[in-house]
Amino acid sequence: MVYKALSKSAAKDDAADDSSSVKPRNKQRVLMLTSRGVTYRHRHLLKDFASMMPHGRVDAKYDQKKKLGELNELALSKAPNGPTCKFLVSNIHTMEELAFSGNCLKGSRPILSFDKSFDTEPHLQVIKQLFLQIMGVPPLQKRSKPFIDHVLSFSVADGRIFLRVYQVQETEPTKKDGAEGEEASEESKKKKSKHADKAKEFDISLLEIGPRCVLQPIIIQEGSFGGALLYENKHFVSPNQVRADLRRKGAAKSNSRAEQNINRQSKMGGLGLRTDGDQKPVDQLDSRELFA
Amino acid sequence: MGIDIKKLKEKRRLKERAKVKAKRTGSRSGAKKIPEDDQDEEEDDEEDDDGDVEGGALVSQEDEDDDDESADEEDAPAIDLAALDESSDDSSVDFEEKIERPKKLKQQPKSKDTAPAPTASKKPAEDEDEDEEEEGEEDDEIDWADLPEEEREDLVPRTRININNTTGLLASLKRFAIPTDGSTTFASHQSLASKEPTADVIGEDLMDDIKRELAFYAQALDAAKRGRALLKAEGVPFSRPTDYFAEMVKDDGHMEKVKAKLIEEASAKKASAEARKLRDLKKFGKQVQVAKLQERQKAKRETLEKIKTLKRKRSETGGGDLGTHEADLFDVGVENELKSYNKKDSSQRGRPGIKRQKKNEKFGFGGKKKHSKSGDAESSGDLSGFSVKRMKGGAAKGKTPKTARLGKSRRKAGAAKR
Repeated sequence: MVYKALSKSAAKDDAADDSSSVKPRNKQRVLMLTSRGVTYRHRHLLKDFASMMPHGRVDAKYDQKKKLGELNELALSKAPNGPTCKFLVSNIHTMEELAFSGNCLKGSRPILSFDKSFDTEPHLQVIKQLFLQIMGVPPLQKRSKPFIDHVLSFSVADGRIFLRVYQVQETEPTKKDGAEGEEASEESKKKKSKHADKAKEFDISLLEIGPRCVLQPIIIQEGSFGGALLYENKHFVSPNQVRADLRRKGAAKSNSRAEQNINRQSKMGGLGLRTDGDQKPVDQLDSRELFA
Repeated sequence: MGIDIKKLKEKRRLKERAKVKAKRTGSRSGAKKIPEDDQDEEEDDEEDDDGDVEGGALVSQEDEDDDDESADEEDAPAIDLAALDESSDDSSVDFEEKIERPKKLKQQPKSKDTAPAPTASKKPAEDEDEDEEEEGEEDDEIDWADLPEEEREDLVPRTRININNTTGLLASLKRFAIPTDGSTTFASHQSLASKEPTADVIGEDLMDDIKRELAFYAQALDAAKRGRALLKAEGVPFSRPTDYFAEMVKDDGHMEKVKAKLIEEASAKKASAEARKLRDLKKFGKQVQVAKLQERQKAKRETLEKIKTLKRKRSETGGGDLGTHEADLFDVGVENELKSYNKKDSSQRGRPGIKRQKKNEKFGFGGKKKHSKSGDAESSGDLSGFSVKRMKGGAAKGKTPKTARLGKSRRKAGAAKR
């Protein structure tokens, strides 16, 4: 695939230069673009992501005709000198085709839910930070909405990263412990409005929004779309390779069949069972010879 | 293109270093190993830090390459010895191949693309495993010799170096990471890590859709709950007020579609359930009908049988003891009963069906029209219109019949009047 995200962290860098006491702020913008030759699915997936990232900007296609083999890859990269991670994207389901009933505000900030295993290995830590900075909406973003109503969930299983998006739905709880709820509301004095008080009692349930996809890390590079290789996934087998292997297997099979056929023909020819094969010398005791 | 070259260089560098390491450690005493590695790691760190500057990384790489080369040359004689030493406990094949290696090194120390001899380098690789892991470099090509037969076959065409430059990764992480620990507010990043790895929750079977999605759901739900608590604690508004309307990710048209799909699904489900119910009912109804028919047949058979047995009894006893009158009466009764059965059947057989009758009534078919006026046995045998009295006495008594014919003149006058 196809979709490359750059985050421009110029502002962040400036802040760091001015005074060392200023911590790097979460403030970045994302440029999204696809390469040539993507299918509608990839396009729709990109559109779905774009709709959820108010800090993103979709640009025209990246016009690079030569590297069509790189389709189905997703690259997340920090600009100007952050690391880049390339993923193989599989199992794409866009919002449109999933038809989940969940929905959320356009541009509200998501809660990012990471698997615990993201903290275990260095390459996963890097990937986590990339997701955090690129998929997460920075605070006080211009076009973002002030409420939180969806969760982006990243889980690791079998060396792949599963991406899911859920809506947070607050529903009235069943009347089981009203007294407790009242106490809780008394405790929460920070909330100003009556509504917020109520919200405390609400149960949370999730509704899936979509899209879904599975990402398999391929490499991590030091620079932005370049630089030294920091990590390469040993288990990654490119789809081209898989396809080639399949074809080769088929070819080997058909070759062996053809060979068998030729062997059989020659064998039959040797036994004199074919008209065009070499004929056996006629035996003297052959009935055709005897009764001629 | 620039990237590719860099990649190549990086690969080459890593390989070279691994090999040099192997030789060094092989030739020197084990005590020296660890400090050396540490030193190298430190160098790495420094280089990575310098790497921020464009091109800085490149320069440092080249420097390193040079170092390695010089090291190679220095170590070359030592390698021979080491190889010889080690080969003493290995097979003769190992011995040969090991002798070859230093030559290659001398001729072209930079091109390491030649296929490694797996059996030859197996032994030293095992020795060096710890060191390599410390550096984060593992030579996959060497390991595959230990693998079982089938797996080896799979791997052969696509063996690649597993690069996992841990120190580099961590350094780069340090460079661009946004703090997510206690030092900043939760609202600045809004990211949460789950309490336990989701892979464990899913279990072994990743293809189990329900289980997998449930695990994801649980992870997200947990994050949502904790996130809400944290945000509330920081005084950040969480839930959207009911009167706050704004553009949604899915527009109304989309939601309409979703709704339509849901409804369609539900109705399809309902329809299929209903159809099944009907089908079952039909099946059951048929059964009932069949049962009824069978019952009727059975009843008929039973009565007939009863009658037959009764009759046989009668004939056997021959009506000896009982009065003949009584026996006659009984026989008559039986006959009648049998006749009624037969009559019913025969009468029903001769007549057309109800449908035909109704149609005949409606469309006026009352039998054949041809020969309807010609006499037949019945009509000639019908003497209802015949009376002897009229035939004999009537003619004898009164000469004038009631309707006597008028005279000719009167008849003519009557005709003219009309």
